[in-house]
This record gives sequence, C-alpha cells and structure tokens, in this order.
Amino acid sequence: MPVLTDLDHWFTREILPHEESLTRFLARTWPRRDEVHDLRQETYARVYQAAAAQRPRLPKSFLFATARHLMTDRLRRSRVVSIEAVGDLHDSNVLTDERSPDRWLDARQTLKRLAEALDRLPDRCREVVWLRRVEDLPQKQIAARLGISEKTVEKQIAKGTRLIAQYFYGGAVEEELPRRRRSAPGHSRGSQQQTD
Amino acid sequence: MEANSKRIECAAAAWLAHRDSENWCERDQAQLEAWLRESDAHRVAWLRLASAWEQADRLKALGAGVPDGQIPPRGHWTLSPHFEARHALPRKRPRPALARVLAIAAVAAVFAVAASLLFVRQRAEPPVQPVVYRTGVGDSRTIRLADGSDATLSSDTIIAVALSRRERDIELRNGEAIFEVRKDASRPFVVHVDGRLVIAVGTRFAVRRDGDAGLRVVVTHGLVRLESDPAVNAAATLLPAGSVAQLSGDALEVRRMPIDQARELLSWRDGFVVFHDTPLAAAAHEFNRYNTRKLVIGDPAIAGLKVGGQFRWSNQEAFVRLIEQVFPVRTETRAGDIVLLAKKTSPRKRTY
Repeated sequence: MPVLTDLDHWFTREILPHEESLTRFLARTWPRRDEVHDLRQETYARVYQAAAAQRPRLPKSFLFATARHLMTDRLRRSRVVSIEAVGDLHDSNVLTDERSPDRWLDARQTLKRLAEALDRLPDRCREVVWLRRVEDLPQKQIAARLGISEKTVEKQIAKGTRLIAQYFYGGAVEEELPRRRRSAPGHSRGSQQQTD
Repeated sequence: MEANSKRIECAAAAWLAHRDSENWCERDQAQLEAWLRESDAHRVAWLRLASAWEQADRLKALGAGVPDGQIPPRGHWTLSPHFEARHALPRKRPRPALARVLAIAAVAAVFAVAASLLFVRQRAEPPVQPVVYRTGVGDSRTIRLADGSDATLSSDTIIAVALSRRERDIELRNGEAIFEVRKDASRPFVVHVDGRLVIAVGTRFAVRRDGDAGLRVVVTHGLVRLESDPAVNAAATLLPAGSVAQLSGDALEVRRMPIDQARELLSWRDGFVVFHDTPLAAAAHEFNRYNTRKLVIGDPAIAGLKVGGQFRWSNQEAFVRLIEQVFPVRTETRAGDIVLLAKKTSPRKRTY
C-alpha cells in the first residue's frame, strides 16, 4: 500500500461518506446522466486539492459548494447552448445536515451494506470476491479452484472493487438515476412495423 | 470527459487488483506511486476504491458457520447471527416502485381490454362509446390501448378512444399525445383534432393541440397522412418520418428535419423541454403547458429574447433564475403567477 497521508485519511473519513447525497445532488441538477460520474470525480479532485492547503471546517458544505462551482464553470464554458442547466444550482436543502461521518454507518449497517453490495455482483465476480475476501484465498488458488486464469481472477477483483465501492459509498443511486432516454417514441417496444 | 473519469476509475481498480495478487513486484509499486502522483484525480479514485476494498474485509463475518469452499446463495445472510430477521436483505431488488407501476398498468390494461370488448359486444357496430383518458397539469402517462397501441399523454391532455372493427378512432380534445401505433391495415388509426384528421397504420407520431386553431404533428417513424375533415374538400398532406407539421388556422407549414431533432420536440416525455433560439414568450408558453403556476411576459420588450437549452419542465424556478441571471429581466409574483419584466437598462437581443 502506498503510504497514506493525513490528507488521504481525512478525505476517506470526511468526504467519501457523502457520496450518496452528492451523487443525488449532481443527478438532480445536471441534465446529462452520463456526466455525473465525471462531475463527481472532478469534485473530489478539487476538494482534495483545496484540502491539501487547508482543511475546510465544514467538509460536507464545502463538498457541495465545490460541486456547485464546478457545474457553474462547466455551464459557462459550454459553447453553443449555454443555459444547459436543468436543476437548481442554488438548491440548498442538501446542506442542512452536516452530519458527523462517525454516525454514518455503525458496524452492523456497514456489514449489511457490504453484504448487499456483494449480492449485487454478477455471479462469477461474486464468487471470486467471496473466495478472496471471506475465505482469504490467494488469487492463484482462486484461479485453480475455479479453473480460470489468474488474469481473469485479477480482472474480476478489479470489477468487484469498482462495483462494491459504487454501492458501498453511492448506495443504489447510480443505478436508480432516471435514465434520459435518447430514443423518443417507441424504441422501447417491439412493434416497429412499416406504415401504410 | 465521461470516458475519462471512468477510465481513471478502471485504471485504479486494475492497480488495486494487481497489487492484491501474488505477482506484485517492486517495479509495480514504483509505477503505481508515480501514477498516483500524476494527478489528484488518480489519487482520489484510488483512495475511494482502496478504502471500499478494505472495508470489504468485514465480509469475513459472513463466512462464520459457512463451510469453506461453499458460497451461499444471494440473500442468505439472514441465517447469519449477525443479522436479525428484520434486517433480512432484499433479494436483488427488482425496483419495487417500478414493479408496482407495471402491475397497476397491467391491471389498467386488462380493464381497458375488458371495457372495449364489452362495447364491441353490446353495440356490434358503431357508434362505439369512447373511453376518455385525461392527465392533470404536470402529469404524464402512457396508456396501452386495447389494440396494442400506446398513447403517452402529456400534461393537461384529454383523449377519447373509440376502437371499432373498422376504425381506431382517437379524439384529441386537449394537450398533446405521442402515439405508437400497432400495425393493423384493416383498421386505420385516426386522430381527430378540431376537424382535422391525422391518419396512420403502424407508426409513431405525436399530435398536439395548440389553442383552438393550432395543431402540430411530429412524425418520428413511418408515414402519416394529414387531412381536413372529409366534408371540407382539401388535399391530404403526407408526412414522412422527420416531418413537423404546424397548422395555424388554415396555414400549414411542414418542416423536414433529422429524426433525432424531431424527437427532441417530444422530450417532455422524459421530463424535459428543449429550446433552440426560442423566443422567451414561446418558451414561457411551453413551460405553462406543464405547470399550474404560469410564467407571464409582463413586458413586450423581453418577449423576443432568445433562449436555448434543455430544462426540466417541473423546475420552472431554475429556468426563471437563469433567465434573471443572463438577461436584464426581473420577476414579480402576481396572483400566484410569475411575471417577467424588463429591468430598467434596455434589453439587448442575446442568444443563449
């Protein structure tokens, strides 16, 4: 493990637990669902950078303020259609609760959430994560046990990590985001006949 | 951009998984550290995944009492002493809300079928008693008609549906609806609006009633025939996919555009309105279709300001606030409506 700094610990402890509400906020405010992931990551990077100089006193408020600024910047930069905002950038109700991350999840809730995350993994991925994390088998043995290559095991672990992080921090928000259908009338159903 | 953040996340995950393997070496370690130093985006993506993976160590608690090598089926954690029964995990949630909606829709469809069968039985031939569907301001819903066609009603819309053996007859009394028509050559699908007929067999199109004299037809698939009432002897107009026909009084204007652009006019179905160089007055009118609280242009000087962009129609306030930010416009609330007025400085025409 690369050596974790104070800043890293601060970020993990104070910022990541707000991922679920941050993701909701971004999704509600920004019109393009497929850009939420990117906005979130850039928000994190900006917060991390700012906190390197000085830790904000109210981490959650700072996180949301950063997200708002980022969206405003992007609005200004976008070229042709510049008022692309559909949500309310000034939405302040997300800021009311500067809850302490200590109370975020107790041990039991943490375990429950992890178990839910595990159960959401695709079959093969779930098997690999179980053997690695619960039974503590080395990757090599997992490969032998399941009759797959070590490379595949590694890939499944990478995938499992991403999906677990997504659910553990983000809750089910990402998968529940209202999907903006690109297709308008009718792509959803099977009756696509020709006309008269 | 989106691809970029996902790519970083995938790279971080690959590093993490590789580090977790037995093949990790010092050179890898040095490379990883270089990668992490490269940007804060790399660092935060890594931190997020590394801490989640570390947390996942707690999953060991689930292994208690499970023989090695056996992976319990999903949702079996209730057996573990770590959970009480009331914490039973939902099995792979199939989005209960959606399931419920589907169930309700299914029931509604059954009723609709039953209802139309009854009508067909009792009155073997026309006139068939129409079934009326309506939505309130700000609502939208899709109705599966008895013939398998779908009608998606926009805000404040009323349609009356009469399906007989010879014709599928829909009257659009107010608002707008998108029709996805099941092909049935023996029974044309006819939408009546104020004495005009929009006729299709199997296709997708939307019809909108604009006030008493206006009508708009958007065709996104197939071909639609637009006619006046047979009594009035006027030529029919054929509208292929990508057509937008606008009728005001007797004046008909047909535009052809790429299908995606035509579909954009139907974005309300996904909760949006889209403007391109649209005069503020028209944009306000558009918002008013979906909201009980109206936007009123209180000063003709600002009616022509051009707006563009995509907005959630339910979020009128965000729209107004943006207008106030970019235009010399101020607002007042009068009798519950939002009145847009010019600020003292003379407004310039700007395109946003």
